[in-house]
Amino acid sequence: MGDHASDVLSPGVPARRSVLVAEPELGDWFRDGMTIALGGLATACHAMVAVRHIVRRGLRDLTVIGSAVGGLDVDLLVGAGCVRKVICPYVGAEALASIGPFYRAAAERGEIEVWECDEGQYYTGLQAAAQMLPFLPCRGGVGTSFPELNPDLKPFRDPVRGETLLAVPAITPDVAILHAAQSDVHGNVQFVGTGYADRLLWRAAERTLVQVERIVSNEEIRRAPERTALLAAGVLRAPYGAHPFSSPGFYLEDRAHIAELVAAGRAWARDRDRQPFEAYLARYVHGAPTHLDYLEAIGLRRLLGLDEWGA
Amino acid sequence: MTGPPTVREIMATFLARDIEDGEEIFVGTNLPVIRAAALLAHLHHGPSMRVMLAHTRTNLYHAPVMEHFELLADWRAARWAEGYFNDNDIVMYQKSRRDSVFFVGALQVDPHGNTNLIGLGTDPRRLRLRGPGAIATTTNASHVRRFYIFLNEHSPRVFVPRCDWISTVGWGDGGPDARRKLGLPGGGPRYCITPLAVLDFEDDSKRLRLRSVHPGVAVDEVRRQTGFDLVMPDHVPTTALPGPDELAILRTRVDPQGLLRG
Repeated sequence: MGDHASDVLSPGVPARRSVLVAEPELGDWFRDGMTIALGGLATACHAMVAVRHIVRRGLRDLTVIGSAVGGLDVDLLVGAGCVRKVICPYVGAEALASIGPFYRAAAERGEIEVWECDEGQYYTGLQAAAQMLPFLPCRGGVGTSFPELNPDLKPFRDPVRGETLLAVPAITPDVAILHAAQSDVHGNVQFVGTGYADRLLWRAAERTLVQVERIVSNEEIRRAPERTALLAAGVLRAPYGAHPFSSPGFYLEDRAHIAELVAAGRAWARDRDRQPFEAYLARYVHGAPTHLDYLEAIGLRRLLGLDEWGA
Repeated sequence: MTGPPTVREIMATFLARDIEDGEEIFVGTNLPVIRAAALLAHLHHGPSMRVMLAHTRTNLYHAPVMEHFELLADWRAARWAEGYFNDNDIVMYQKSRRDSVFFVGALQVDPHGNTNLIGLGTDPRRLRLRGPGAIATTTNASHVRRFYIFLNEHSPRVFVPRCDWISTVGWGDGGPDARRKLGLPGGGPRYCITPLAVLDFEDDSKRLRLRSVHPGVAVDEVRRQTGFDLVMPDHVPTTALPGPDELAILRTRVDPQGLLRG
């Protein structure tokens, strides 16, 4: 029942567990070589406190599952040298960067492996993981080069109707890291907006860590339980934690900051000039060891200027 | 708001006239001509179209002016919405694509309308040019009622005899039953629209054929800028111009900012 009922009504029975994660405990969640799924979509709702933590730690050989329209969160991890393999159908920021510059350069130089897929194949693989199946069939990709580009996508003859389809293996994140509007301390996560495909990443992943703009009471969650999207294994309080990307209901993307990151990526991609990106990392990642340090580096005026309706 | 129609307005009008009331259409971001075509069709003759704007389904028939909408993940699109969906619920609803028309861009197009968004180069581990990726084009183009290949460049490096990689099937190896043999339920590509011309597919071979040239473009220029032989009809008309009613909708309600006139 309620949070405290067990304390009162059942002496000796432990109280309901909190899944709050303090920022210094993020280290327990990630290690080299893991498969990590990044939530949000395109220019919105990426879990940037966790992403910057990974960069600061200098983790290596990650398999990164970007969102279906993967954003520059993927690009930052690639640029920082954390990534061995990328699984997602796109990396970029639409009009702000039609393709992630670090991603493009690393792929062209053979420094990362790209698990080629389209959105239909990507969601099929995540759904297979959620259902604990070895694979699920997909029609998108039949007749194309995908099985040649990605040998994990295997054409097979459907035993029911005899069609040729592609078998998409389960895509199983060790950890999914998401950013949402609010949660209680027990991990009942609610979005403003629909949450893109974050529910599916949660269902596919072994564990899910969610950053939230605010922690609310369990009573607040129970006012609208139909809004609860998922139950997180860990919740990190992270106001403005999607910055420089948008967080629905709270703030817009920071275009000037995104332009700074993209310019650093292009200098590396075009001229192999690493200096702008090293300066970026020194200022916003290594020089800002906590999320509060990061927010101070960005500055109050900039952050409050990202208002959705009134800026 | 006067002056002759621009090439982009002509392209948008051609597409809009081909879209029927009741069809489902995705208004992408960063694609001003396609956006204009979808909204022009909606306001001109498609009050019951299912307009998918970002992750919403909207009906803008009574909205006086369509504001430009830039980023896919911007939830503020919901202020026009009748429905608002998860990304995977949209992509994985293939059955709904039976009423959809869709647009595919390309780094390369072959004579049968197969297209490449993957990249250029033959070694998949070391592409000479890494493209943006297939996004949802592969699955959507397998299922939609019909699609259009939309190009911002008409040149021999785009129109190639053979794509380095195929991310979206057009008419496969050719012939009207090419898609049926592959088991693809969707209707395939109908037109390819470029800044120079409109191409369609010859009925028997399903090879690209020149259908019309835009005003001021010579047939020979299209021939020179295409890296293979197009099927050439005896007579090539000029692409039709927007009527006054269509131009008025475009310039006052769909594109008052002038993205198609810049």
